[in-house]
Amino acid sequence: MSDTTTPKENLVMNHLVSLSYSEELTPILERYVDALIDGRIVGHKCPQCGRVYVPGKGYCPICVVETTDKDEFEVSDRGTVTGFTIITPVAYYGQTETEPFVYASVLLDGSSGNLGGQDIIGVAHDQLHSGMRVRAVWKPPNERTAEGVSNRGWGSVASVIDAFEWTGEPDADRSVYEEHIF
Amino acid sequence: MAATDIAVVGFAQTPSVRKARESEVQLLVPIVTEALARAGLDRREVGFTCAGSCDYLTGGPFAFVSNLEAAGAWPPISESHVEMDGAWALYEAWVRLQHGDIDTALVFGSGKSSPSKPEEMWAQQLDPYYLAPLGVDPASLAGIQARALIDAGKATERDFAEVVARNRANAKDNPNAQVSGDYSVDKLLQAPYVRAPLRAHDFPPISDGAVAVVLARGDRARELCDRPAWIRGLDHRIEVHQPGMRDLTASTSTTLAARKAGYDGGPLDVIELSSTFSPQEIILREALGLDADANVNPSGGALAGNPVMATGLVRIAEVAQRIVEGSAGRGLAHATGGQVLQHNLVCLMEGD
Repeated sequence: MSDTTTPKENLVMNHLVSLSYSEELTPILERYVDALIDGRIVGHKCPQCGRVYVPGKGYCPICVVETTDKDEFEVSDRGTVTGFTIITPVAYYGQTETEPFVYASVLLDGSSGNLGGQDIIGVAHDQLHSGMRVRAVWKPPNERTAEGVSNRGWGSVASVIDAFEWTGEPDADRSVYEEHIF
Repeated sequence: MAATDIAVVGFAQTPSVRKARESEVQLLVPIVTEALARAGLDRREVGFTCAGSCDYLTGGPFAFVSNLEAAGAWPPISESHVEMDGAWALYEAWVRLQHGDIDTALVFGSGKSSPSKPEEMWAQQLDPYYLAPLGVDPASLAGIQARALIDAGKATERDFAEVVARNRANAKDNPNAQVSGDYSVDKLLQAPYVRAPLRAHDFPPISDGAVAVVLARGDRARELCDRPAWIRGLDHRIEVHQPGMRDLTASTSTTLAARKAGYDGGPLDVIELSSTFSPQEIILREALGLDADANVNPSGGALAGNPVMATGLVRIAEVAQRIVEGSAGRGLAHATGGQVLQHNLVCLMEGD
């Protein structure tokens, strides 16, 4: 009869993997970052359907046509909150937040897609709502960097914009954001 | 019974380059468009789309989802992805077409090896208990394979260099090649070892690139192409997972795949092999029973350009192009996945 009562030690093998990647930003993202440091937010406007992608992709994924520097299009640093989450942080590896914080999607005026994961300041958490008008709070020019912008991901603005603040304007009409709730 | 009326009717590829500044999707957009245009097919008519790529290469989780943007996935399309060379995406599309309810498919394969360190990254592809922790990389395994070939008396270092010289010379006519030119075998043999008995030229170049292929079935294929490259047989077979448990000097899985694909040893006008390390061409030639004067790798093969995850599908596109353009009647393309010829696919194609 096998001994099922004595606990056996499992053999544990650690296999830590570290992979390194190094690359330059694509030329489109280089221009995007240069503009951000300059205080401007640029994307590409599809010559066929007119949708504006921030940052530009070099093509329109809906029309599958290529876009170039000629299609560069500056969007506003003002926009509309389309949706948000108040996150109560739990402790996990890498978590630096300790207090509840906002994770909002902002549809910049002129852009066809949301900027995700933005902090909204100047308004109490329980007053946050879709449709709120907000504007970017830029870091001082000498503190803006390219950090966080990579060829992977969706064009972070965290290294140039600290947060978005309520403008005090009346809410945007529902039609502005109802197709962008995310 | 496998269908025999599915054909390659369109194709396009990027050049293989050491480092493309564009994103992987940017590499794909123009060639997907070009392959469809070559077939005269509107992308909205495509019945099924399948892509092959590897997120580890660019280090971006879900990079394969972005790649789909090159196919225009809105309104929603019917699609699939394999974390394998695009040749296996073609295999899936070929199976899908046999359902009989659709008659066209788009297939693409893409990879940017430039951001990562291939030797470091591909070690993770191996068995996670015995091999990956050792950091066994493809070049080291290929060196062991080359040594086994020499020890078995099947090849010499000069044979390896001759493979390299021949492929690089062939690549002179290939505008998409990354490495090409005339090289003297004696001079190649003077180069230092990198993984003895292999020298740097026995390795494939590190490449960024992409390829797209359009498939069509039956009458639709004839409508879209004057001379479709009919896929007469397509099969893939895999070796045991532990490289130490097989004879590295032979490729049983390639022999089996070729037989199952219907290759009977008859004459072939063109053969494209995914022999990423020079000794592998010698192994594959033997596995397929090819004559010494067989027309192997007129494109220069994987030694002239190795956009991983596209390399195998490029072989199929190279053979198909020669059939469609009328310079070849019957051809065979080979793709491989894993290390030291772990997994092999054979595609037999013919013109009318």
